[in-house]
Amino acid sequence: MFKFKSLIIPFAIYIILIAIGLSQPGLWQPIMYIMFYIGIGVALNNFMGLTGYVDFGYVAFLAMGAYGMGVALGYFTYLGIWAIPLGFVLALIFAALLCTAVGGVALRLRGAYFAIATIGVNEGLRYLIEGAKIWGGSEGIILSGKLRKTFGPEFANYLSTFVADAALIIIIFIASVITVYMINSRVGYALLAVREDEDAAKVMGINVTKYKLIAFFTSATIGAMIGASAWTLKLTYVFPEDVFFIHYTVEAIVIVMLGGAGTLLGPVVGGLIYGALKYYLSVILPGFQLLVFAPLLLVIVVAFPEGVVGFVKKKLQERGIIEYIT
Amino acid sequence: MRKKVFVLVLVGFVLFFAGCAQQPEEKPTTTTPAATPTGPKEETLYFGAPISLSGKFAKEGQMSLWGMQVAAQWINENGGIKVGNKVYKVEIKYYDDESKKESVQSLIERLATVDKVKFILAPYSSGLTMAAAPIAEKYGVLMNSHGGASDYIFEQGYYYVVQTLSPASKYQTGFLDMVKTLDPDAKRLALVYEDKEFSRAVHQAAKEYAEKLGFEIVYEKTYPAGTTDLSPILNELKAANPDVLIGGGHFADGQLLAQQLAELNINIKAISILVAPSLPAFYEALGTKAEGISAPAQWETGVKYSPEVAEKLGVEWYGPTQEEFIKMFKDLAGEDAEPSYHVAEAAAAVLSYAKAIEKAQSTDVDRVREAMNDLEFMCVYGMWSIDPETGKQVGHDMVIIQWQNEEKKIVWPESAANAKPCYPMPTWDEKAEGKTCGS
Repeated sequence: MFKFKSLIIPFAIYIILIAIGLSQPGLWQPIMYIMFYIGIGVALNNFMGLTGYVDFGYVAFLAMGAYGMGVALGYFTYLGIWAIPLGFVLALIFAALLCTAVGGVALRLRGAYFAIATIGVNEGLRYLIEGAKIWGGSEGIILSGKLRKTFGPEFANYLSTFVADAALIIIIFIASVITVYMINSRVGYALLAVREDEDAAKVMGINVTKYKLIAFFTSATIGAMIGASAWTLKLTYVFPEDVFFIHYTVEAIVIVMLGGAGTLLGPVVGGLIYGALKYYLSVILPGFQLLVFAPLLLVIVVAFPEGVVGFVKKKLQERGIIEYIT
Repeated sequence: MRKKVFVLVLVGFVLFFAGCAQQPEEKPTTTTPAATPTGPKEETLYFGAPISLSGKFAKEGQMSLWGMQVAAQWINENGGIKVGNKVYKVEIKYYDDESKKESVQSLIERLATVDKVKFILAPYSSGLTMAAAPIAEKYGVLMNSHGGASDYIFEQGYYYVVQTLSPASKYQTGFLDMVKTLDPDAKRLALVYEDKEFSRAVHQAAKEYAEKLGFEIVYEKTYPAGTTDLSPILNELKAANPDVLIGGGHFADGQLLAQQLAELNINIKAISILVAPSLPAFYEALGTKAEGISAPAQWETGVKYSPEVAEKLGVEWYGPTQEEFIKMFKDLAGEDAEPSYHVAEAAAAVLSYAKAIEKAQSTDVDRVREAMNDLEFMCVYGMWSIDPETGKQVGHDMVIIQWQNEEKKIVWPESAANAKPCYPMPTWDEKAEGKTCGS
């Protein structure tokens, strides 16, 4: 009953990207750079795209994930290789805790109030960690030395140049499946009702807070997993200033809007366009790329107000291929 | 139809990436027509650099790039790098990393694989250098840090990462040496600094060093970033009656510290504050109150490092003299531009690569890294030599600047100084009456 057919295109895109990365010299990191953007797009889309709420504090979940992995590798290094699964578990727990705290309160707010409340949470959490000297405070957690001592330099390098990337890829595949499931399940229909008219949905007997929380939770945990693998495991350090950097939230929002909010393919296409453009522009026009990049983004947003995928969907409404695009 | 669209999309993707992947960026090795057939062969050697031309380090990044280009130009105009019967001309291959860790990793990989660069100038800041290190290590390329001062980079066991600028742990030690030389009786030291990773690292190391020198720590306190009032801390400080004060963090809090010391009339014989006093805006804001206040700096226009000083110290001089350096910089950056220390440290990183390659007589990464272990030379930026094991910079000294008579003077170390230190600095009352250092 679920339209798993629609997974064919995103999966094909991932596989092609990975194949290019593996076969072309020097393209693996750039591909992972694009995958990171696709990842945060897919993760945020599960909340923002489905509910229509804009979360400006989203990066806090990535940060929680990064800290989960950081704490596991930094303070439980003696567990050896088991510290990594523990890291993912801690990432999930930290994100879930934050999600409960924020979601329970802020999700009762709407529109701009919600957005402001979430920014507050992001900044507040960062100052809490720095000020109360939690997990190294402003000095953060630095892992490379520990990893290299515990696992040997070669395996430590393998961890940050291969395992982290593989983990990110797996997370993105799973996240896409979750999105399809969400869109086509009862949760998805309830959220659609919320997105279109929250009051009407309430009157119809839908427990709006519950469904919003489900979407929030899903999105937060995926974000945390991305933070744990693409940041901590790959970069081997966690600095509070870096992981709570609001820029990433803005980028994720741009990606979702660019591709098409609420669609499965949207953030994938958005992330691909955003990441690839950014990378090649910074290579071709170092220092001037933003001058080209910003107007390009504007043109795309003006030309496709519902996102690239939203536009394509509209055009292809009558065609058979529409079943493949969600 | 469906199939056709799908296939078309696929083909489009593949073409897009294949096209992008094969940019023939590498210029063919050039042979100058002037060279006689038996003369040295001329080749181009690329040094790669991810540079922050946009984002939060845009200003520092641009300065570093100019520094690298000046050094490369000087090397090329002065015979290139001679290895065997080959002569290498240096060219800087750079991309914009937008001050972001994700970009840095992609660009390091690109430099190492597509551009086949073996010598990389690390990105600006310690965080980005850390992000680059695993990728650089994976491809076995050398990385020379000109903007990552934190000691921890070199405590992780990365063999292929070396440092050109002085590490954080040395920022305030020169000042302590200076005070000890000038007045062995000034023993009471106080520390008041910002609670940030960098200033903590600086002052923790300074504290250890001070204890070794025989200073007595009479007061130590940190304040959070963004503080607007330090008077509670300073009142306690006054009670501790220190001879010497070190502290600060960024510009705003450094200025606040000096301002409130004056307001509370706390007289101290010597003060060194991170960052703030090294900017002209400090004197503009404080006027004569700034007289006698010192700051550590990686480099400053007017340092006395020169071929003569090098000869006196018995080390080799390499690179442009200061006048040449500033002239070349202005030709590149414009007449109005003033070189900041970022220019000098980036130039020094390029020069150290050139010197090490010449010494190793090879462009093999391992041999160059080995040659760096006992390489020692002086350039416009000062001394260059590293700790063989960690790659940390040990040769270079921070210079101490001091405001004297409305001018920023270099007072320490003696090999760089262009003025005598003003010690003890005039009291706040004297300064209020218009007394300056040297008047």
